[in-house]
Amino acid sequence: MISFLFFSIRRAWQGFWRNALMSLAATATMVLMLLLLAGFFIIQTGLLAALDFTEQKVEVVADIFDNAQPSQIEELRQRVLSLPEVAEVTFVSRDEALARFRERLKEQGEEDLSKALDSNPLHASLEVKLVTPEVFGDVVGMLREERIVEKVKEQQKLVDELLTVTNVLRTAGTVLLVVVGIIALFIIVNTIRLAVFARADEIEIMRLVGASDAFIRWPFVFEGAFVGFLGAVLTLVVLALAAEPINGFMLEFFQVLPIEVGSMTRGLVTLVMGTGVGLGIVGSWVSVRTYLIR
Amino acid sequence: MLHDVTKRYPNGKIALRDVDLVIPEGDFVFLVGPSGAGKSTLIKLLIRDEIATRGDVVLDGQDLARLPRRQVPRMRRKIGIIFQDFKLLPTKTVWENVAFALEVTGYPRRGIRPAVDQVLAIVGLSAQAKQTPNQLSGGEQQRTAIARALVHDPRLIIADEPTGNLDPLISWEILQLLLRINELGVTVLMATHNAEVVTALRKRVVALEEGRIIRDEVGGAYHRED
Ligand SMILES: Nc1ncnc2c1ncn2[C@@H]1O[C@H](COP(=O)(O)OP(=O)(O)OP(=O)(O)O)[C@@H](O)[C@H]1O
Ligand SMILES: [Mg+2]
Repeated sequence: MISFLFFSIRRAWQGFWRNALMSLAATATMVLMLLLLAGFFIIQTGLLAALDFTEQKVEVVADIFDNAQPSQIEELRQRVLSLPEVAEVTFVSRDEALARFRERLKEQGEEDLSKALDSNPLHASLEVKLVTPEVFGDVVGMLREERIVEKVKEQQKLVDELLTVTNVLRTAGTVLLVVVGIIALFIIVNTIRLAVFARADEIEIMRLVGASDAFIRWPFVFEGAFVGFLGAVLTLVVLALAAEPINGFMLEFFQVLPIEVGSMTRGLVTLVMGTGVGLGIVGSWVSVRTYLIR
Repeated sequence: MLHDVTKRYPNGKIALRDVDLVIPEGDFVFLVGPSGAGKSTLIKLLIRDEIATRGDVVLDGQDLARLPRRQVPRMRRKIGIIFQDFKLLPTKTVWENVAFALEVTGYPRRGIRPAVDQVLAIVGLSAQAKQTPNQLSGGEQQRTAIARALVHDPRLIIADEPTGNLDPLISWEILQLLLRINELGVTVLMATHNAEVVTALRKRVVALEEGRIIRDEVGGAYHRED
């Protein structure tokens, strides 16, 4: 068994280098396809992260009367927080509201007109973040009933629109990723099939001298795995070299935070490695099978 | 060995019809007949490259049609097979080509060197062991193939037009070699168009025509002599 394993790996290694041109062609195809796949994966991940980010901003805002006591506000905050559909409740005081307002004006490069005001025109508010953006539940109704609440701004309409858009984008992205994956699969399997075809003579001789199927198959499977592994490593190297611009692009375009880029890297490595090695193995397996079934 | 065998290819072509043929151990048999007579088909049935449509092909007591697929490789190791086009691997040396047959069948590694050296000595290629096929003459290439066929110590050698690509003198060399192997007790079945050789050697001759055996005589010539 051990010697069989050694035999297979040694033959796989020899096979790879004896047919260096075919092997490298297969590896190059693998790299191109994996890059394509990785590219789509990055865009898809960025898109999803950006959508999550946007969705997080969706909330219910309850303006509080200026004369409400801090204890009343805190009590209300706790009650709202205990609702199952609520993720987070933040109290924004009048001063904070003003500070934010000034901040925003500055960002937009407009003159701070609020300095001209002698009193703060803004209200304090409770900002409610929902667990799932679709599910408002009783939050809005309950807040409306409260005495200290002046008015409730629910962004239901906006949310509905946003959700339609994000769901469409999400589905489209996933479908596209799967389609690209299938195309990559076909191209890679076909390239490996060609590489195996180039060695049909060898397989025929093996059969004629009485080699068992396992002895014929496994060296090719290992070779396929090796091509896949090499392709995946090369792809990851290319991606690593391109990491800086990609990160920049992600931040710029999708406004995704670096942490999310980190977790994406793990997903990407898994995707590229898994697809590469997996396709290498599957490709060789089905290619050799054609010659064994007879 | 063959009992009432008919072979019909998937395209409807009937290559063999009701063929009965028994080859005792140690025999030397020429299989002759015009192109398309079914010689190669008969050989493919014997090595279970094809399966008979009807009738039994029995080899060494085993019915090949009933032999489980997994056992086919083991059965093939009992047969040495030689073709007109040698079927050598161009990137390997003579020695490696012969050793290949042992490596891919899981032969114990330490046994490979002595076994290969021995068969190369039998076919007289010890000096060329390190050359690749394209550095060899046709005769030497065929002798390499014979060495490879012999390395499993088979009881039967099947050769499909082994001299088809060789000039007369070299053909005689190959024949001498096969005769010597036969003298060692190995059964030899050789399909050929080489009339001169067949007639001169006066061995058993089986003639096929359009898929039927039309003649089977011991000490026969290539053509019918009446
Ligand atoms: N795989 C196949 N599928 C269909 N028909 C085939 C196949 N192989 C051979 N035949 C047909 O079967 C018949 C016998 O072929 P075969 O190769 O056995 O002849 P042969 O006696 O070896 O001829 P040659 O002397 O030219 O080698 C031919 O008519 C051939 O066309
Ligand atoms: Mg033929």
